[in-house]
Amino acid sequence: MAQARTAIVRTADRSAAERLGSVSTGNALELRGVTKLFGALAAISDVTLSVRPGERRAVLGSNGAGKTTLFNCVTGDFLPTSGTIRLFGEDLTNFPAHERIRRGLRRTYQISLLFGGMTVADNVYLACLGVSRGRFSLLRPRPSDAIVARAHELIEAVHLTRARDTLVSALSYGQQRQLEIALALAGAPRFILFDEPAAGLSPTERSELVAILSGLPDHIGYIIIEHDMDVALRVAESVTMMHNGRVFKEGTPEEIENDAEVQELYLGGGHG
Amino acid sequence: MSTLHNLSTRHPVGTIVILALVVGFAWLIFAPWPPGLEQVMGRKRVFLNAIFSGVTLGALYFLVASGFTLVFGLMRNVNLAHGSLYLLGGYIGYGVVDATGYWLLAFPVVFVVVGAVGLLLQHQVFRRMEGEELRQTLVTIGISIVLADLMLWYWGGQSYQVLSPQWLSGPITLPFVTGVRPNGQAVYLSYPLVRIAILFAAIVIGLAMWFVLNRSKLGMLIRAGVDDRDILAASGVRIQYVFLAVFAFGAGLAGIAGIIGGTFQSLSPGEDTRFLLASLVVVIVGGMGSIPGAALGAVIIGLAEQIGLVYAPTYSVVFTFLIMAVVLAFRPQGLLGGRR
Amino acid sequence: MADVLPTVAPRKSLLALERIPAPVWVLGLLLLAMPAFASNFVLFQIFGWSFILGMIALSLMVLAGYGGMVSLIQMTVAALAGYVVAILGTSGVTQISLGWPWWLYIPLAILIAAVFGTLVGALAVRTEGIYTIMITLAIAAAFFYFTRQNYGIFNGYTGFNNVIPPAWFGVDWRQAVPFYYMTLACAVLSYLAVLWMSRTPFGLALQGVRDNPRRMAALGFSVTAHRIVAYTFASVIAAVGGILLVWQNAQVTPGTAGIPQVIDILVIAVVGGLKRPIGPFIGALIYAILSVFASDILHAIGMSGERFKLVVGLGFLAVVGFSPDGVLGLWDKYQARREANRDPLLGGGR
Repeated sequence: MAQARTAIVRTADRSAAERLGSVSTGNALELRGVTKLFGALAAISDVTLSVRPGERRAVLGSNGAGKTTLFNCVTGDFLPTSGTIRLFGEDLTNFPAHERIRRGLRRTYQISLLFGGMTVADNVYLACLGVSRGRFSLLRPRPSDAIVARAHELIEAVHLTRARDTLVSALSYGQQRQLEIALALAGAPRFILFDEPAAGLSPTERSELVAILSGLPDHIGYIIIEHDMDVALRVAESVTMMHNGRVFKEGTPEEIENDAEVQELYLGGGHG
Repeated sequence: MSTLHNLSTRHPVGTIVILALVVGFAWLIFAPWPPGLEQVMGRKRVFLNAIFSGVTLGALYFLVASGFTLVFGLMRNVNLAHGSLYLLGGYIGYGVVDATGYWLLAFPVVFVVVGAVGLLLQHQVFRRMEGEELRQTLVTIGISIVLADLMLWYWGGQSYQVLSPQWLSGPITLPFVTGVRPNGQAVYLSYPLVRIAILFAAIVIGLAMWFVLNRSKLGMLIRAGVDDRDILAASGVRIQYVFLAVFAFGAGLAGIAGIIGGTFQSLSPGEDTRFLLASLVVVIVGGMGSIPGAALGAVIIGLAEQIGLVYAPTYSVVFTFLIMAVVLAFRPQGLLGGRR
Repeated sequence: MADVLPTVAPRKSLLALERIPAPVWVLGLLLLAMPAFASNFVLFQIFGWSFILGMIALSLMVLAGYGGMVSLIQMTVAALAGYVVAILGTSGVTQISLGWPWWLYIPLAILIAAVFGTLVGALAVRTEGIYTIMITLAIAAAFFYFTRQNYGIFNGYTGFNNVIPPAWFGVDWRQAVPFYYMTLACAVLSYLAVLWMSRTPFGLALQGVRDNPRRMAALGFSVTAHRIVAYTFASVIAAVGGILLVWQNAQVTPGTAGIPQVIDILVIAVVGGLKRPIGPFIGALIYAILSVFASDILHAIGMSGERFKLVVGLGFLAVVGFSPDGVLGLWDKYQARREANRDPLLGGGR
């Protein structure tokens, strides 16, 4: 009897939560109680997070805090064990990865996942093709093709015009990171997840990256995972600290920077 | 036990359906059939015979497929020459029995000889292509073509049957009622003793494998390797030795299965592909890399083949195929396969 | 790799004549003029057969080379197309064959085979990598056993005989020279189709899926859908090859797609080379020459003529062991060495 009652209560809770969700809160990205278990190990647990449209958020935390797992759950690389994920009010918790991308979600990868055997132009062309019709076209693109033109624009936007016909495997590391960003900008992105875009970059390349990120159109919001506090705090308006798979603190960059607990944890653990 | 409990709480309806099916099946096997049922399903003896043949065939499939699945699980090597090892074992076993007259002697001889062939293959060929899964598989295809032709050359195209020993010939009466005589006396099923022995042997070998895998240090290493080869390699174990041992064991088991298959069926060119395919289907259905999966898959496929053969002879292959297609569609990793 | 994946920068049509290199001209003229000096046996039995086997192996090359999926179902798809031609068209088995006109049964045969190939693909792409080989082989075997047991539709063990091409333009297309040109035309067309496909948006995306499925999904591509469509595309080519094969043999039986035949297609494709669409045709020519002349060759070196399979198996092992990219791989290596020798300043090859 008691068991039955808790079950009913639980259902009631859930429907209340659903109602809450359906009343569009106007958030670009909204996570509720997202948990991902690997066997018995919780990579992230009960993460609740919301980002407004156009907002730029940094997610900080030491290695193993669950940041990349969080990204993988959002982009659908794997499904969360529990919890819901909404993009602009639409529940896409159980969508396959490509359906999420077609709804304006983008990501970059920490370790470059590029097509090494293809040229820069082909890589960007594929990215533009992925979110267009004609993915299955058996007609070869004409020079006047809109997708080709769009690809060339993007290549220009990330300063890779001179390397357009170079094989990706022959690019420098910094150029590969730039190409990663170009791939994320293809189509009409509304929200982007940047996974440590500054890792391994030289100081000059870093400032170029900051310039590219700051120059994004205002309506595009993003979350950036970054180890380099300087970069993160320069491009973000708000900060979420994660620790051991949980959200630990949220606030403006100034608040986080001056928080005693964060300083102890982050500076002690992450940069040790 | 706790998983069973979980299952019954999570899927109460499904559990009840499965329980009802099990009970109904048990009734079909143990109880004497009322005349009405015999009109629909035919004689009970025929049904029981189909069930027993199915389980025995499943036992044989299990012996072949368990080596295949173990090798696959540990080394990601789809050994498409596995059927050739089966046939080779059968031919050699026939030779030993023919020369010495001792049926039991064939088993250790074949296990050692075919196991050595497996050892040779792993040591000389596959080890050199570590990590190149596709290339290894292609090599096994080449080896199966060559072995098939060499065996055809030596043993010719005729079919052989391994003679079962005196003490295993003849029927045995089993405590299963097939019908009731007018005078009220129950008639019991009689079934070839040699097949019961095969079934028994397969169960013993299966249990032994389970014990080795779950209770010994070697078994622990192998299971760790099936789950994650990198961990095994990183733990400092001489993984090559584990690979060699498993490959030799899998090959030897296929060889032994060849003697058994040669005893209650026959040996001829083409049997190698037949048993390779049986292994493929069993492993796809049961779950790749899982020994209990191989056992489950083998029994399912064996039963499907034999029941199909009795009740719908034209479509028995279709049953097997349908089972495979349904499993692939709804559970691509196989019934008991881990997630990949 | 770079030559397989040209950039999307504007380029001239595939058929622009001035872009065809000289060796291709020579090869083309040679193939066109072949009936002037080759015997009927060579035209029909070696070249006709090579073109057909090459097309079926080409359909495997599309899946394996561009899609990274080694499928063993292609011979079965081809045989199914042949069966449909025999069942819907005319054959010696009059009680089953329906005798429909060719403009109906040929498209239907291709359609049915393509649907079958697509369904198998849809099952196979649910798993990854080497599982594909196992699953497609198992399905191919099921088809073989089913056709052998089923008498209502597939006429069981004996299959269908007297399946001949329609007499278009009053020509007997089973005569050596017409058959040669018919198969040549089909082979060249399917070769060009594959070459064309490889540079279209679909082909480029397919190769992206092969190299990096996870990234492709993160770019908005449905990896599964692309793989399945690749099966459809490949099945159409295999189906055309299958129809030609049935016409060549004038019969189709379960053995048309028996396990050895299924494996042979893989052997042909691998021996020729899976990197470029010309590979399967090279492999098929080698295979056809070997199988026609094997007994003579074997007798010449003092062995029984029956050991053809042994030769094929050992040859296959040698190719897989020493040149995984097949004959094409050997050719590329040779070219690279020649270039390196010609230009001592650069050295070292590519």
